Order: sequence, then C-alpha cells, then structure tokens
Amino acid sequence: MAFINLNNVTYKYPLTKTPALQNINLQVNEGEFVAIVGPNGAGKSTLCYTLAGFVPHFFKGEISGTVEVAGMDSSKSTLDEWVLNVGLAFQNPFNQISGAKYTVFEEIAFGLENTGVPRNEMKPRVEEAMKLTDISNLADRSPYSLSGGQQQRVALTSILVMRPKLLVLDEPTSQMDPIGTREVFGVIRKMAEGGMTVVMVEHKMEWIANFADRVVALKDGQVLMEGKPNEVLTSELLAENGFGVSRYTSTTREAKKQGLWKKENLPVTLDEAVEGFKK
Amino acid sequence: MHERLSFFVKRDSALHHLNPLTKIVLALSIILVSIFSPWYWTSHGLLLVVIVPLVFIGKVANEYFTSALRLILPAAGFIFFMQAFFQPIGQTVIFNFWFLDITQESLLFAFRIATRITVMISAFTLFLLTTHPSELMSDLTRRGLPPQFAYVIISTLQILPQMQAKAQTIIAAQRSRGLDTESTFFKRIGSVVPLVSPLVFGSLVEVEERAIAIEARGFTSKKAKTSLYEISDRSSDKFIRWGLVILVIISIVLKLWLS
Amino acid sequence: MKIEINDLRFTYPTGLEALQGISLTIESGEQVAIVGQNGAGKTTLVRHFNGLLQPTAGSVLIGDWDTKITSVAKLASRVGYVFQNPDEQLFSKDVGTEVKFGPRNLGYSKDKTDELVKRALTLTELSDKTETNPYDLSPTWRKMVALASVISMDTPIVIFDEPTTGQDALSIARIAHVIAELRREGKTVVTITHDIDFCAENFERVIALSEGRILLDGVAANIFGQDEVLAQTYVDPPQLTRLGKKLGFKETVRNQEEFLTSLRGTSDSE
Repeated sequence: MAFINLNNVTYKYPLTKTPALQNINLQVNEGEFVAIVGPNGAGKSTLCYTLAGFVPHFFKGEISGTVEVAGMDSSKSTLDEWVLNVGLAFQNPFNQISGAKYTVFEEIAFGLENTGVPRNEMKPRVEEAMKLTDISNLADRSPYSLSGGQQQRVALTSILVMRPKLLVLDEPTSQMDPIGTREVFGVIRKMAEGGMTVVMVEHKMEWIANFADRVVALKDGQVLMEGKPNEVLTSELLAENGFGVSRYTSTTREAKKQGLWKKENLPVTLDEAVEGFKK
Repeated sequence: MHERLSFFVKRDSALHHLNPLTKIVLALSIILVSIFSPWYWTSHGLLLVVIVPLVFIGKVANEYFTSALRLILPAAGFIFFMQAFFQPIGQTVIFNFWFLDITQESLLFAFRIATRITVMISAFTLFLLTTHPSELMSDLTRRGLPPQFAYVIISTLQILPQMQAKAQTIIAAQRSRGLDTESTFFKRIGSVVPLVSPLVFGSLVEVEERAIAIEARGFTSKKAKTSLYEISDRSSDKFIRWGLVILVIISIVLKLWLS
Repeated sequence: MKIEINDLRFTYPTGLEALQGISLTIESGEQVAIVGQNGAGKTTLVRHFNGLLQPTAGSVLIGDWDTKITSVAKLASRVGYVFQNPDEQLFSKDVGTEVKFGPRNLGYSKDKTDELVKRALTLTELSDKTETNPYDLSPTWRKMVALASVISMDTPIVIFDEPTTGQDALSIARIAHVIAELRREGKTVVTITHDIDFCAENFERVIALSEGRILLDGVAANIFGQDEVLAQTYVDPPQLTRLGKKLGFKETVRNQEEFLTSLRGTSDSE
C-alpha cells in the first residue's frame, strides 16, 4: 500500500461555503519527492495541513473521504500521534519560531524536548541536523535576530531534527536567495534519497524540475494534472489555467511556434533549454 | 537588526546561576515585603540595599540603569504627581495650586507609593534580565506546571519586544500614507485605529500560525518531556527560598500586629 | 520629480552601518529596480526617500524638498510607499474606505479624492470589491488593496518594497500592469525586488546594492551581463539572460522579445 493514500478527500473550513479541497485522490510512495504547484487559493496549503494532520484535527470543519499516512488513519489518530511521524514547515518563518527559546540551538531542540528524547541524544541530533542545513554557525544567535532566509533554514532544521517519516513543506524557500534555495533543495533531495517521503509546495519551477520526482498541479481545490515534472510543467493545460511557468518554458513555447525549437518537449530548466537549442 | 528581542541578558553571575524558581520567589518576596512592611522607609531601603546591589551582583547594571529605568522612572513619576495632587490627606499645606492643595502628608505618601512601584517593577525586571526563558519554562514544567501555561508566560515575555518592532513598521507604513502622528493631540487620537487594528489582526494570525508550528513540534505530545539543559537546584536554592518565605510571613505578621 | 541622493550614510543605533556613502540621481519618470542580497541596505535606502529614516550624513532631495527638514506627512504628497506586508497597513472595514485614507490625509477635495480612488481601484482590478472587508480577501488581493491605497495618493514618485513576494503568476502580471501604467503616466517608480525575472521584464534601470554600497548602476542589459559582479550580492541573472549566454549570444538579452530576436539572428547566420 502507498505511504500516503488520500481517497476522495473533500474538506471545508468552518464558516466557509465552498470546499477548500474537492475529491482529492493522491497516492505517494515511501521516499518519493512530490512537488505541489498551483495559483494562490488552489488549496495547496490546505493539502499540506491535511497531510500534516491539522486538517481536520486543528482547524475542525467538515471532511469526507480517507486520509492515510504512514499506516495511520486520520479519523482514528490524534494530532499528537500524527506529528511524531509527519513534520510540517510552512512559509512564514517568523511565526514558526517558538518564542520560548533564546538561541537557535535551543529552538531546534524544542521538538526533541517535547517528545521526550533523552538529553544525551539531544545534543548530537541537533548538531547533526544543523550541519545538514549548514546553520551550525548560527547556533548561539537569537532566532529573532536572523534574516528571513536564515529563519526558514531554522524552521526546516527544527522539523528535520525530529526525523519524521513524511516531510511536508509549504514554500520553505520563499525568502531565500538563489544560492540558499539551491542548497535547501539539495538537502531535501538527500533526505528523500535516504527514505524520507517529501511533499513540497513551491513556485520555483526550475528547481522542482531539477529535484522532484513528481508534480501535482492543483486548481480550485482539485487535482488538475499530475505526472513527471517536465510533462506537467510544460503542459498547455497549466499555461491556460494561469499557472506560473519558467521563462525557459514560456519563451521556448513561443520559439516553437516560430519554428525555432525543433524538439517535441518543451524545457523547464536551463540545461534542458540549452540542450534543445543547441541541436 | 534586533539582536536582543528578549529581556534576558546572558552573563556569568551568581544571580544567573540561581534556580529560576528561586529568582521568582526572590522577586515576589521583595514585592510583598515592600507592600506589607509597616515601616515607612522599607521600600526605599529595599531599593538601595537590596535591588541596587543585586543589579551589580547579576552584572546587569548597564541594562538596568540605561533601558529599564527609562521605563520605570516615568511611571513612578506619574504616580508620584497623581498621588501628591489628588490624595486628600493631611492639613499641613505646603503648596497650593488652583483648587489643589499639596500637603506634607500627601507628599510623603506619594513618595512612598512611587518608590514602592519602582521597587515592584525593578524586582520583576531583575528577574527577567537574569533568567533564561527556556530554563524557566523547563523548570516550571518539571515542577508540575502545565506546559501550556508555562509556554504562555514565557512566549509573552519574548513576544512583547517583537510586537513593539511590528508596531514600528505599522507606524512607518501609515505615516507613509500621510497619517500625521506627530502634530496635535487630536490628530494623535485620530491615528489610533489605523495603528492598532493591523497590530491586533496581525497578532491573531500570528497566534494561530505559532500554535500550528509548536504543535507540529510535538508540544502537546503525551510523552514525558525532557530538557536540553540540566537545571541546577542546589540546597542553597532551597535555603534561600525558605528564608524568603519566612521574611514575607514576618512582614505580614508585623503589619497585622502593628496596625 | 527628481530624487537626488548625495553621499548618503546611515548608521542604526545598534552601530550597524547600513549605508556607507550612496550618491544617486533618479530622474523624473524613471523606472528603477533595486536588487541585492538580504541586508544589503535596500529597504534602508528607500526609507530615506520619504523621510522615515533621516541620514546620519549626506542628503536626500525630493524635488526641491530636503527630507531632513520636511515631515513624513508632507513628503507623503510626493512619495508613495507600498510596504511589503499588506497586513501591516490595512485597517478599514471596506476596500473603498481603505483606498480613500491616503488622499484624505493629503487634504484633497472630495471630487478629486473620489476620482483618484476610482482610478486606483480600476487599475488594480478591485472595482467590484469596494464594499468587501480587506480581511475577507485572499492575501493576493490584500496586496492589491495595499497597492491601490498608495496609488490613490497620486504621488509623482511611487516605491514598491518586494511587490511580488508570495504572489502567484496572475497577481504578478497584475502588478506589472500597474507599474506599466504608472510609467505611462510619467511617474517615477522605484522597486525593491529579488524576483530578478520580474525585474528584467519591467525595469530599464537596475541598481545592485551590496553591503551598503552601490555595486552596479545602469541599464538593465549591462547589469545582467556582469554575472560575476552580481554574484557578490547573491543575485543570479534572469533566466533568459543565462540561457542567452550559454547559447553564445553576443548581446545580453533580458526578455522574451530580445531573446527571440537574438535567437533568429544566430540561426540565420548558420
């Protein structure tokens, strides 16, 4: 059975009329790296909250269908059990700082303290996680003194240190510069190769195409399309529905119309574009 | 830019090494003794003989005298004037202003209340300056305080300076839209809504997101919590705590007995 | 309206020297993008344009007004400033009232205010949402309300701080449209952005800041060609610029049109 199994999931937040998710069916295998794309209001964050157990346990509202992750069934598990297996980091890093810790090191240890990890294990685990995301040099800084991009790395590290089976990330690199983004995608790829399952919402198409195994395109709470990154990100369907596409894709589409691009498939990344135009 | 958004100052001092609970008891005892002591000069004495030396022992003199007093003195000054003018006690008029009489008695009373306020805020400030927030939280939860409760206290202490920073941004944004926050009193009153409502709404969103973030990190996990640091609670800590409790009891008894 | 900055230096009370001698002239009607890594001093610089920050040394002139002796409230009639986070400025019960706030503060007549508000709402595609509470809108639309509430002030200079952060493709296209419209009206637009593709498609002049100094300043095509220098401030050239370079184009290309022109040039010569 698939590691993530969403079956006909429809969900409505309290006090709203239209469902945020409609008949979502999604299967993800263990160790897979899946990217979610879509315009604002498509239900991307709601899907993240569903996978992380916050829908419906935290937000309440009406849910139908089945949500199964790592052998747990959402209707039978409580949120505190769920979060032991599923880690969530979201966009605004500032609001993810616990506010109860004085240094970055302590901030990262917070989740370990809460889940009863013995003290002698805690230190090496925090150090290892910080090394992975390359923030060891920030250990003694106050989390509030950091830049947005650095805070995002801290938020990610705070989740990675808990060693979840499923990592759910909602635009985790939105405030990072290109170099930071590249590094973080590299770390996440490595985690996936180590067996961690990753679901990530992201706008940066070029990076998705370079790193993800599969792309799911959402619109109006429904799955519009899913498949291999290049196939989804270059499809006409996405362009027609107002999805952001990489400039390599949009410009090559125009070039193709003028007969300047000879290949069948359009590119998403720089390398694909260079290769296609050189031929 | 904001390197220090918590009150805590990391130093190596005897005060810093005390157990967090001992420091809470210390602050509360100072406050209670200042309230209950029957003698006029107790608060003044506490300020000069207890708080000021502790500020130096805790190695936070710089922070206390520069930033904390800037907050405390205006508050104490305000209370002094209110009490001096509006406290209808005593006959010995030494100063008269319009229909208000200032008597020797009201002046003395005002001086006492203002000092007491200074002592109370100072004791609390001293505690904040020398207590590591997460040590405090771990220590209180270990002693059986519900973690939610401990978290609310600690995070509030950290979030106040952040809200201040946020308020600065909102003021900047509204001034850029031509909001006059500087000239007349009435213009200032009129600028309250544009300044306060974004702050309140923003805080509501923040609270929800922060709740999700800490929940995602197992905050309500039913497992027994552990702590990154070992928090010292030496026998000297227990001794100090009991000593302070006895002092408070003595001052309450004296108050009841002498009045 | 011209912006003249003369050897501007700014030091925060913490001792951080955020700006270390910036001299710069922005002519009336210019469209300028400011790029550079976090902490390069971008926001610190533009906050001097409307007097929110006062120079530690040097001067900033907005037309004939020296920001040192002009109040922020007065400068607001010349410089509009859209902050990054709309939630830090929206407070009214409906969009219409929110957008009216700026022009009312500037003391415009009722007729003029109504006209400016109408124009701002049309430009930002909010005309059908005037009665809505801003907080019932999605964050994307709240951003448009923030834009409208500054545009309605009809200032000759408009500053945008990271307008595209958190916005989707449709919203970015809307913002680009607003900027194009402001350009058409002859307004000066200064935008801080780290969305370098957005920058390439909408701005003629680019200023790259690094550690409180101007690293590069000039025509976009020249700036984007210097990828080694840009790397110092952690900016990657736009996607099409990088592609053009890899394909060996002689010119630095910025947008689709230039790319396709160069592409045709190379395939013809073969």
